[in-house]
Amino acid sequence: LILRRAGLVASVVAAVAAAAVPAFGYDPATTHAGLTERAVLASTLHRVLVHRLSRPLGVFEPVPLRLSDLPEAEREALTARLGALDPGTGYAPGPDGSASALAWVVAGSVVAEVPAERAQHFFYDPSRGAGLTDPGGLVPIGQGLRQMIDSGDGGFRGLATGTSFNMTGLPSTAWLASDRNDVGLVTYYQELEAAVSGEDPGRRATALARALLALGGTLAVLEDAGDPAHVRNDFRGAYLGAGGTSPFDRGSPFEHFVAEKYGRMGVPTAAHPVSRPTVMAYITGADGEGLADRTQRRFFSDGSLPEDAVVDRATTPAEVMRDARASLPYGLPRLPHLALAALGRRSYAYAPGEDGKPAPTDGKGRRLFAYERVPGRVHFFLDDAVYADTARALLPEIGGYGAGLIDHLWRGELRLEVKDGTVEVALAGARGVVHGGQVRLYAEDAAGKRRAFAAVDPTTDGVSVAIPDGARRIAAVLRASDDAGELVAVAETPVR
Amino acid sequence: MIDKASFPVRPDSVRPADLLGPYDGVVVDADSDRPLAGALVAGSWAFERGIGFRAPAGAREVVVETGADGRYTIPALTDLPEGASARVRRFTLIVYHRGHVAWRSDRMFPGRERRRDFTQRGGRVRLERWQSQYAHAEHAVFIGGGPRVQKAAAWELQAAALELDGEHVAVRAHPEAAPAPAPATTTVPLDVSRLLTDDEIRGVTGYVGKFEDGKLTDLPTTEFYDSRHFKAVGKPESYDVGLRVWRLGPAAAEVQYGKLMKALPDARTTDEVGDGSFRAKSGGIAGLFYLVRERGVVVSMTCGGSQCTEPGQLTKLAKLVESRLPDLPEPAAAPPAGAGAPTDKAAPTEKPAAPAEEPKP
Repeated sequence: LILRRAGLVASVVAAVAAAAVPAFGYDPATTHAGLTERAVLASTLHRVLVHRLSRPLGVFEPVPLRLSDLPEAEREALTARLGALDPGTGYAPGPDGSASALAWVVAGSVVAEVPAERAQHFFYDPSRGAGLTDPGGLVPIGQGLRQMIDSGDGGFRGLATGTSFNMTGLPSTAWLASDRNDVGLVTYYQELEAAVSGEDPGRRATALARALLALGGTLAVLEDAGDPAHVRNDFRGAYLGAGGTSPFDRGSPFEHFVAEKYGRMGVPTAAHPVSRPTVMAYITGADGEGLADRTQRRFFSDGSLPEDAVVDRATTPAEVMRDARASLPYGLPRLPHLALAALGRRSYAYAPGEDGKPAPTDGKGRRLFAYERVPGRVHFFLDDAVYADTARALLPEIGGYGAGLIDHLWRGELRLEVKDGTVEVALAGARGVVHGGQVRLYAEDAAGKRRAFAAVDPTTDGVSVAIPDGARRIAAVLRASDDAGELVAVAETPVR
Repeated sequence: MIDKASFPVRPDSVRPADLLGPYDGVVVDADSDRPLAGALVAGSWAFERGIGFRAPAGAREVVVETGADGRYTIPALTDLPEGASARVRRFTLIVYHRGHVAWRSDRMFPGRERRRDFTQRGGRVRLERWQSQYAHAEHAVFIGGGPRVQKAAAWELQAAALELDGEHVAVRAHPEAAPAPAPATTTVPLDVSRLLTDDEIRGVTGYVGKFEDGKLTDLPTTEFYDSRHFKAVGKPESYDVGLRVWRLGPAAAEVQYGKLMKALPDARTTDEVGDGSFRAKSGGIAGLFYLVRERGVVVSMTCGGSQCTEPGQLTKLAKLVESRLPDLPEPAAAPPAGAGAPTDKAAPTEKPAAPAEEPKP
């Protein structure tokens, strides 16, 4: 069997070598973690935790996750995935299951892609509305076989039953909303609600930790919409095209470049939080302003560059441009004018200005790709200078989208005012008409136990309810919908 | 597979380090160049796995403390990860010593620029002293590290939370991003001298002797904390009165109040002043502690049994102080990022009036 496997590996190597071009992607442990950290710090999450959820230290508040509260299968899976995190990064929970709120969000954005094959569902091609697809052939077979050898019999079983990665995946928008995704929107809404309505403090803390993990997982999906390879259906070129001498040593050179240049802490500060009408509109929207829309039309990935153009004595520059344009899998970005006269000199094509102005010619713009005329052809490629420009443009923007998404998910605010034995509850921050839910009120006793004591319709004007005797704290939660989609609003306040 | 280290084996070498270690060096104070004993040194190896997509696949962490000579040694990694695509991806060293800026082998603080002076063997880790203009929020995020490092640095979290609460985006811009407006760095110490006078104490308790006014000396005055010690001249401690005030903002004040309640012996909730209050007693000295949520203030009022002969006298003193809280000068720039952060020794959370010392007025 070993010999047969070795033979298969040899064919895999040949298949991969044929595929051959490197491209983009973000390293979970460093780049995703850094992007998430920057997004959280640029968002209102800290204030929300302090003022709505009575967590005085906000994003620095230690939140214990009690693994015994989780179903066995979920507990085992989560324990293994959290155990894979590096303590040096600061977002791995301690042996007591506790981590800061910030650490849980960041950890969520990392474990969202642990094990690595989960990343197959992090692709979204906005022009087709599709996830990762592959034309088939030797390359996916080879990838499956390498995984089989890498992970042993479990991988073989996965391959046999079709659950292993075959270079296809769900659209990331579908994965985000899937109940198979344990750090997606379904978990986020459910656990955030339980973080207030749970009976005992331990259960509520665990639910909050799970909600924060799911928030991180949601951000990870969004962050990959700011990755050209992930929005240009480019797995082969991006992830299998480069690496060391071992057939198992495959990875994205851009991923490596960004991870090495920025690490976790060097990721640039997030841009101003972006406001979008719905969660999915952060990824894609009819207005073309979703992150995936913007990334796809402004950046190339290595596997979606023009194919090398053949040049002979009779070829005109116009023909080169025509052939190069015809080979593009996507209409945008458009190919700018190329300077093809000099042989053997590396040149760069520059992106047009953000306001539609033509590409700068003074060498100060953003490099789209590199090209070089070599004997017999024009070669198109990406290099470190392009990677650097790409990262510099994209990383702050991704952070701004992430911060905006956090604010969007926490947009609903329940205001509680305790006065003369009553609590007045009012809803703020919802968009448009709220429907499908009531504000549930809970009274917390001296031991921290909560029980529901009233339910009122959400209103911006405020409704007063009598506080039960012995209540030390009032908590409220609303799970409903508004014009921006699903809405969970939470609040807590002490009773004097 | 073992990745190539991005740092050299020794300071005088260009040969790449062996990522597996061992690692050793000396930790010194950057100002005095003298070795620092008791610094926490945490080394961690990160593993990854995956073909094409790569993801974290485990880690090993070793935590040691520097000896009297400031030296540390992290033994080499011997238990390597298994699997054809498994790799040792990176090694990170974190050094933490309270009163100094945390030191990481990959990045520097402040600014988050890449560090280029880390070496595997014979490294010299120079810890810069903490400066009051640094932002705790940025630092708390920067430090990273596992449970032991985070526990050692936990005292910073309250100040960090305050900074973030005071300004929407508290983390200063990255050098490559557009420069952020410079935060105000002027810090004005809190001054509670106007909250209570000798005559007012005498008016409440009927005492006829003199007081020598000063500050309680166990915690220094900062922009977050101040104290008064009314020492009865020629009398024992049981005639003294003490006042401590923490102005921390609503969230952190609540935390501080909770900590005091937990820390002080036989705390008994009384709710007689402020938004919540409790009493505690130690020896012959009674204490009344209260929270004024809206102002983000916690007050500790203590009075010796010979001075305050009835419980109501302590209540009166406490209410007198509460009525004067609006007279406290507004903080100059409190508490935005990078401004007003307490110095290491002055951290209001460091010793929140520990039981042994708090009842001493």
